[in-house]
Amino acid sequence: MTSSNGKSDHTADVLIVGAGASGAAVAAWLAEAGFDVVCLEQGHWQNPDKYATLDPDFDFQSMSKWSYDPNKRGLPEDYPINLDDSPVTPVMFNGVGGSTILWTAHAPRFHPSDFRVKTLDGVADDWPLTYEELEPYYDMNDQVMGCAGINGDPGNPPRAPRPMPPLPIGADGLKLARAFESLGWHWWPSDNYINSIPYGEGRDACNFCGHNNLGCVQRAKASTDLTYWPRALRDGAELKSGCRVSEITVDAEGRASGANYFDQNGELQHQQARGVVMACNGIGTPRLLLMSTSDAHPQGLANSSGLVGKNLMFHPVAFIGGFFPEHDPEHDGEWVGPMANILMSQEFYETDPERDFVRGYTYQMARGLGPAWTARGGFADRAPWGEDHHRTVQKRLGRGLGVAVMGEDLPEPHNTVTLDPVMKDSSGLPAAKINYTLSENSRKQLDHAIENGRKLMQAAGAEEIVVNPFIQESGWHLMGTARMGDDPESSVVNRRGQAHDLDNLFVVDGSVFVTGAAVNPTPTIQALALRTAEFIATERTDLKR
Amino acid sequence: MSTDLSLLSAALDRVVPAIGDLPGAGAMGLAEVIVENARQDRRFETALKTVADALPDDFASLDPAAQDDALRNIESAQGEAFGLFLDITYSFYYMRPEVHERLNWHGRAPQPEGNELPPFDDSVLEIARQRAPLWRKV
Repeated sequence: MTSSNGKSDHTADVLIVGAGASGAAVAAWLAEAGFDVVCLEQGHWQNPDKYATLDPDFDFQSMSKWSYDPNKRGLPEDYPINLDDSPVTPVMFNGVGGSTILWTAHAPRFHPSDFRVKTLDGVADDWPLTYEELEPYYDMNDQVMGCAGINGDPGNPPRAPRPMPPLPIGADGLKLARAFESLGWHWWPSDNYINSIPYGEGRDACNFCGHNNLGCVQRAKASTDLTYWPRALRDGAELKSGCRVSEITVDAEGRASGANYFDQNGELQHQQARGVVMACNGIGTPRLLLMSTSDAHPQGLANSSGLVGKNLMFHPVAFIGGFFPEHDPEHDGEWVGPMANILMSQEFYETDPERDFVRGYTYQMARGLGPAWTARGGFADRAPWGEDHHRTVQKRLGRGLGVAVMGEDLPEPHNTVTLDPVMKDSSGLPAAKINYTLSENSRKQLDHAIENGRKLMQAAGAEEIVVNPFIQESGWHLMGTARMGDDPESSVVNRRGQAHDLDNLFVVDGSVFVTGAAVNPTPTIQALALRTAEFIATERTDLKR
Repeated sequence: MSTDLSLLSAALDRVVPAIGDLPGAGAMGLAEVIVENARQDRRFETALKTVADALPDDFASLDPAAQDDALRNIESAQGEAFGLFLDITYSFYYMRPEVHERLNWHGRAPQPEGNELPPFDDSVLEIARQRAPLWRKV
């Protein structure tokens, strides 16, 4: 469908590919600035009144049509990903709002040190910008997405007040907080893009159903179909959903001229544009750039450095959980609230030369989601079948909490996104192929975190401690595959997200990350996208007619 | 897909056995529900067929220990399919009101009711606020 001001085929000022976290932010800024914006999105609008949490079989739906693994979901708008050579499964959602439809909406920021890892720790590269340069855009994004949180965190620089108070941490959150304190470790309530009070257009407060990993019926969880897109459309942006881009086209000078795409009927169309913004995530963007070969760009668009698709970073995740003797009688024996984003600890975030690894990790608290989730192994192994089944579920149900470990994955050129020579999507376009190896440094981070996580669970009073040393289905954060930098030989885009090779192509998703920090990346992705949008609006008025 | 529901029911009764007044998952009538829902997703449909096809023809008449041996053999040989079989079984078993009642569970979809929690209590930060800054200045 087309959500638009009724415009038909024409040359847009700016074509945005992808309607997720970053594409929506750019669309809203540029539309407000009077640019003629068209966005092509391969997925569709979602109806929050039909999300799975309203259905009794929501648990099954979370494994099938609402799975966050596109290979499992297998919808026509998803593209397959060959994972034969990756221990991590990338997860995402294709639709208006992108992966913010199924994210948990955790909204931490990078630390100032995250932008200077080469200078401080002698690894990877520094970013071509600083935390201070990005801070105003973080603040703007917090206002539009709606951030619930509280100032005073000793683990992060002081910042502007959030527009909403934090979500309650619950009795289990307090239990974990006290355990952190008993060990002398940092903790702080998580910043969330989840409403703690009604905020935004038609968006209610969270009612603590727990499933912030699924679409939000309350519209309390911020997704860009609810935040940026209503603004963008009101200001005249045109959003064409169900339209899959097959190639970014170039003109005789080798500059971006628009995109070829398959419309909802599978017919090949062309959208002309004076500038193109890539917002397809750290896998989708390199895939599309690599598909866009031409005489001027034989290695793929913006790829004279050969770095498009290289330096793929995830956040390797481990989990340490505990089962406790008590539970919460006020909620049918369940600790309730969001399943994640409750509180976090950054005690081991910064590099410590006493450790055998560089950089660090964040602990993020998680809580359980009911009997089916417990039986399927939400916190530990799947409950055994047979005579021990009932005893195991009864023992674990409503009595588990834990911490996910999010470690900083450093960029390595052998971790790549390429085009699969065999697999195709439903339009006949090449699937993405991932090659990824967990680095020794990342493994040491996780092992350190597991050892400390056991201490934490003991301090909290766990009767049983369970560890998952490496969660396979954890590739939410897709970063580094079109990195930014000042040197065209060692980066794909400049500090403004503008391709070195062609000045009217921009990248605004996680692809541009130089390093990945040890926190969820979306606020940083969106802040960078807003910064690029401001650059286009003020410095690239030549794109505007 | 054509699945022998009686065989599958017998297997489900061993996977999630009877407890107290509750019958096993098979006697509860879950086989038909699982087969029907697996049709929505090729991964589950294939897994269910793999497990069902691997059950011995005389599975229903075997004694419980022999039934468990047969299931363990399938689990060992077809691990991924068996895991999906367990996932879909657990998912629909724990949807049943009588199971919720036994677990003293509220037994409803997460929405639209949700849950109630008191607002954030700032006093929980009393100790955490006393910590000196630990982020690195650049």
